[in-house]
Amino acid sequence: MSARETTTELQHVHFDATEPRTFRHGTVVAGVPWKSPIGTAAGTYNLDACSVYYNPAILGAVSTKGVSPVPWEGNPAPRTAETPAGTVNSVGLQNPGVDHYLEDDLPRLKAMGATVVSNVAGHSDDDFAEVVEKLAKSEADMLEINVSCPNVKSGTSVGKDPVALCTLLKRLRPLTDKPLIIKLTPNVDDVVPIARAAIENGADAVSLINTFVGMRIDTHTGRPILANVTGGVSGPAVHPMAVAMVYKIRQAFHDFPIIAMGGTFSGDDALEFLYAGANAVEVGSAALVDPAAPVRIATELDELLDSRPELADALAVGKNWIHVQD
Amino acid sequence: MSCARTFLQTNPEGRAYLPSRRTVEIVGHELLTESIVQLTVRDEYIAQHAQAAQFANLYSSNSLQISPRPFGVAEVHDDEVTFLFAVVGRGTEEFRDKQVGDTIDILGPLGKSFDLSEPGRYLLVGGGLGIPPIAHAAQKLSGRSDVQATALLGYRDVHFADEMLMRHCSDVRAIENEQGNVITLLDQWLAEQDGDARNLSDVHILTCGPHPMMKAVASWAFKRDVKAQMNLEERMGCGYGTCVVCITPTIHGNQKVCIEGPVFTREELGWE
Repeated sequence: MSARETTTELQHVHFDATEPRTFRHGTVVAGVPWKSPIGTAAGTYNLDACSVYYNPAILGAVSTKGVSPVPWEGNPAPRTAETPAGTVNSVGLQNPGVDHYLEDDLPRLKAMGATVVSNVAGHSDDDFAEVVEKLAKSEADMLEINVSCPNVKSGTSVGKDPVALCTLLKRLRPLTDKPLIIKLTPNVDDVVPIARAAIENGADAVSLINTFVGMRIDTHTGRPILANVTGGVSGPAVHPMAVAMVYKIRQAFHDFPIIAMGGTFSGDDALEFLYAGANAVEVGSAALVDPAAPVRIATELDELLDSRPELADALAVGKNWIHVQD
Repeated sequence: MSCARTFLQTNPEGRAYLPSRRTVEIVGHELLTESIVQLTVRDEYIAQHAQAAQFANLYSSNSLQISPRPFGVAEVHDDEVTFLFAVVGRGTEEFRDKQVGDTIDILGPLGKSFDLSEPGRYLLVGGGLGIPPIAHAAQKLSGRSDVQATALLGYRDVHFADEMLMRHCSDVRAIENEQGNVITLLDQWLAEQDGDARNLSDVHILTCGPHPMMKAVASWAFKRDVKAQMNLEERMGCGYGTCVVCITPTIHGNQKVCIEGPVFTREELGWE
């Protein structure tokens, strides 16, 4: 059995996230230092739920769940269905709104010392602008614009259309000096033109991938399992597609910061993204099946980077694997 | 992992960190019926801390099945924790095929517990696979001089949990589908009450079971102005409050069953 096949079997053995730790290898994303190349992916980190298991300040960054101008109730249940090596979710960005976030989660995370990527959700350009304008004056370290959620009305329309993305970015860019990350959808024929639109219109980084559109049908009833019919597929099942998309963007744009996510369940999975050209990696689904997974994965990656000094040194100064190869 | 060591650390907000997912040993495994399994694991942390209606995530060792299987704690003895569950799919089939001495991954205890703080008469109303948390409530209430507990259990057919309940509760009444349901038992119990006992202000219903059963219990309680706590079940993503998948509508909006529940009062759910 190869090393890659064994990683998922070994993932939960003898790991105690509650021990204090710091990481030897960090990264820099759009000028913002991360203490580790590992962060949490938006939608999978809830402060109250997760901070009882580990200190978020030790990670590279915490991407918080998308916030909208007003509270959103999200989609009806059932919101999740299992699929081999993954899940199909349709939460619909339920969140308490940006004002609550600014009063509660964000100041608490900053008081703990966390590097925070505030994820921004909206149904329209006006929604995005309203949230960005409020976050611009906050302690958030970076803003991530979610133009790629498959589970809300008009969720991916901007993320699939370079022209619409250009229009949105022209609106958002003057509103803030904070680094703007565009979160990309994999539900497109070619991700490069979307990334180009982000790069050429003032974004500071891209993050990918959001989830793939998928659905599951209950074969006893013949009906969709999810109340929203379709949802977003995540987990190890999507990892190879995510690696391919990161690689494709990196080949097209050697210097632009990329945050990769998609089925990272081990330090080795994260390393694979770094070799594809990512500057940082965020953990999503793995945290849903083990709260401390981001810390475990960061610990594993730290050890893997010990024996890869060229890659570790490149990341530490905001460069990536393609620069090592040049 | 040593739980004692875990507790030496505190997080930046001053609380102790909880142990995350871990691997534990299976110390008991029994098929109660063709499709209902009684599984006991050794987990000192859950044994010490689990309150009634709290649950734990069990995980498949097959990396194709990543989602947790949440099960309510049914009974605790020393450092051993017992779960009862039905075999309904590939994950639970795998757990059925485990043996004593095997290991399994676990996270917990999770969720909000029943509120057992008040004295009075407790009616523990469980249906089918909703009975395990009811059994744990009975265990927690046993020995309390300020409490009188009656278990009212509804089964499809086999009375798989009567024996467990009778260890903790002297008044266990059970019924199967052909004879009636838990509402039949509630009506019978009420008919037995006379004099001051017909004043139901000290009665607390704790219930867990199929959704229509709990709605019927809520309606029974509403009509008589009886306090009721409902232990809900919902399809869960993470089980510990981060993914916002297992929501239920409440008077406070959509709430997470795994962390803001699984116990909600009848009033919180707006069930009448």
